[in-house]
Amino acid sequence: MKDNTNDNKAVSCLPGGLMPAEQWTLPQTSVRRSLKDAIRHALKQLQAGVSQAEEPFESMDELPELSAAQQRRLAPEPDYAHQAEAIACSLKQARSDGSLSREVVCLVAPPFSGMQQALTRFSEPEQPDSIQSSDETWRVIAPPDTLCFDDQEASEWWDRQDLSRPWVIPELADFWLRSLSGLALIRELFRRIANGDSGVGIVGCSSWCWRYWGHYLENAQMSPWTPAPMDADRLGAWFTYLASGNGKSMIVARMTGDGLYVLPLPEADDAENSKSRKKRKYSTFLRDLAATSRGNPGVALAIWQRSLRARPDDDAKLEETDDKTDKQSRAADCWVVPLGRLSLPSMPQSKESVTGFVLHGLLLHNGLDMASLEAVTGVSTYELSLVLSRLKRAELVTCDPLDQRWQVTPIGYPTVRRHLQSWGFPLDQF
Amino acid sequence: MFEDLGVKDAFASITGQALLKAMLVVVIASLITVAVQKVLPRVAEKLGGKPRLYLLASVPLLRLLIIFATIVIVVPILVEPSFENMVAIFGALALALGFAFKDYANSLIAGIVTLYEMPYRPGDWIEVDGQYGEVRAIGTRAAEIVTPDDTVVIIPHNKLWNSLIANGNDGTDNLMCVADFHLEANHDVGRVRELLRDVAFTSPRTKTWQPVLVIVFNKPWGMHYRLKAYPFDPKEQFQFISELTARGSAELARQGVKFVSVPVSVG
Repeated sequence: MKDNTNDNKAVSCLPGGLMPAEQWTLPQTSVRRSLKDAIRHALKQLQAGVSQAEEPFESMDELPELSAAQQRRLAPEPDYAHQAEAIACSLKQARSDGSLSREVVCLVAPPFSGMQQALTRFSEPEQPDSIQSSDETWRVIAPPDTLCFDDQEASEWWDRQDLSRPWVIPELADFWLRSLSGLALIRELFRRIANGDSGVGIVGCSSWCWRYWGHYLENAQMSPWTPAPMDADRLGAWFTYLASGNGKSMIVARMTGDGLYVLPLPEADDAENSKSRKKRKYSTFLRDLAATSRGNPGVALAIWQRSLRARPDDDAKLEETDDKTDKQSRAADCWVVPLGRLSLPSMPQSKESVTGFVLHGLLLHNGLDMASLEAVTGVSTYELSLVLSRLKRAELVTCDPLDQRWQVTPIGYPTVRRHLQSWGFPLDQF
Repeated sequence: MFEDLGVKDAFASITGQALLKAMLVVVIASLITVAVQKVLPRVAEKLGGKPRLYLLASVPLLRLLIIFATIVIVVPILVEPSFENMVAIFGALALALGFAFKDYANSLIAGIVTLYEMPYRPGDWIEVDGQYGEVRAIGTRAAEIVTPDDTVVIIPHNKLWNSLIANGNDGTDNLMCVADFHLEANHDVGRVRELLRDVAFTSPRTKTWQPVLVIVFNKPWGMHYRLKAYPFDPKEQFQFISELTARGSAELARQGVKFVSVPVSVG
């Protein structure tokens, strides 16, 4: 019984589970949607030199965006502890059915997939049994304060790490800098993994960083695993799971334009009320969202949060239901703005090579502070601050006030990736 | 002679109205051609990457289509398109061009071959007779290239017949760049090769999915290293080579590997 509950939770918070990275495919969309996106992207590039660059976000819909409370209820951030459990279950299953036999498994995921946050939870004291490895707890290996090492120093640093008991690196991108002295740590780690003297471990890695190292170490065959891409059905199941909280409430989301249903999914609805299901017509929003976000859950969630609308008086109702007992089921109605009418961030007009270096550098390293960004791009601090402030105003990057690290925003990621592709920069495989 | 060819008969039916009509078609076609040649390159500049190359390459093709369409429209307006008339007109044209504009006709024909064979397209980086630059436009008679020093060089298409044309990227955005390092002997060659490879891999301009190669030659004066890599944009090639050279030189100096220098004789 307990196993079934855990399995259901794993399926809900990591729909599709893990799969070998070479089996990953892009969620499909309609030809009409692809053409529309391509034309819109080309027009935006052309307009860059004509129209004003300052285009603050403006809602195209009359209904207001979600308040913080509504967002927490209807489209909250995922619980990464559950995701960690789901990852551990998937790995255990892959090991038991023989599809995974390596001692060190590499988990590659596009940015904002939540892989890093989930892997960080592996070392928490109150772990479920599914995460523990042979009665031993996982140990998270944190990156050193400085990343500039020569080969000898890198070897000594790894010697100091305890690799004899299960270890986990939540994000490999934190262990290197794209500079001559910043490569040694990862080079040494891969050498040890290839030699088989690194024990049992999990290496989480951003897809951009992985792609780079795949090119750098062309003979390394690590056979990475990755979360399954979020197609329309998986997105629907995941959004429902996130909104359900205790699993007893049901979210009903309909398009603002034509009233077509987005959630609940037809299958879920089937169980609820088969008569009303026959009358309902469903929108292609989730399919379009899956394609726009390239199956990336973090990006899809950011766009989903922005596209949701609710009436102002729903806020009070939601607060009331918050106070009620968990046993009481409830239904939360919300509206969804079509993707075509949603104002997503666009690239400001600027010198494309410098902007490209900055954005590509941020994605390769999963975020960087100003000094490191200067080291990897070769762009002066003065110019960097100008470029970053423009990108920040355009909602494409954000700066963490705690550690002063700059990062690409999930909502801006599709635009950033598309522009880097247009400019000829190396991309990730997802 | 023109009477013998039947040209006089062919043009006998031309009326003033037909002439005006034909001129109107030619003017419209010329305007469209000019618009295509001016607007598309500007649009292409804004797009960048592969769309830029495709759009630039479509300019001469569109021009050829416009010219062809204009001839197809204009000839029936002026003359009755019978077999005799066609033979007469094109025979006369061939004679006139052959005698009066031999070299010009040579370039025109080479221009048509250029559009078909595409030894170079707008956006390509080519070298012809020692002149290196980016093809900016392909005209009827000649191609225009812009050198890295921002000088426009006109290259007649008839160079196609008897000159070697080197094309750096051949219609793609992959252009290999080479940074040369001339070093004194007696150093760890393997270490230097690794180091130079890292120099290319740590450049933000490098296309990492393309090969990065370090070739070394043993010369009487020392070792000659050639670091080969692809920049993300062909237009970045000079910045890219400069960056590889500067960073490579700094790191080699830090490692204690010395460069060779040739004594310069004055006078």
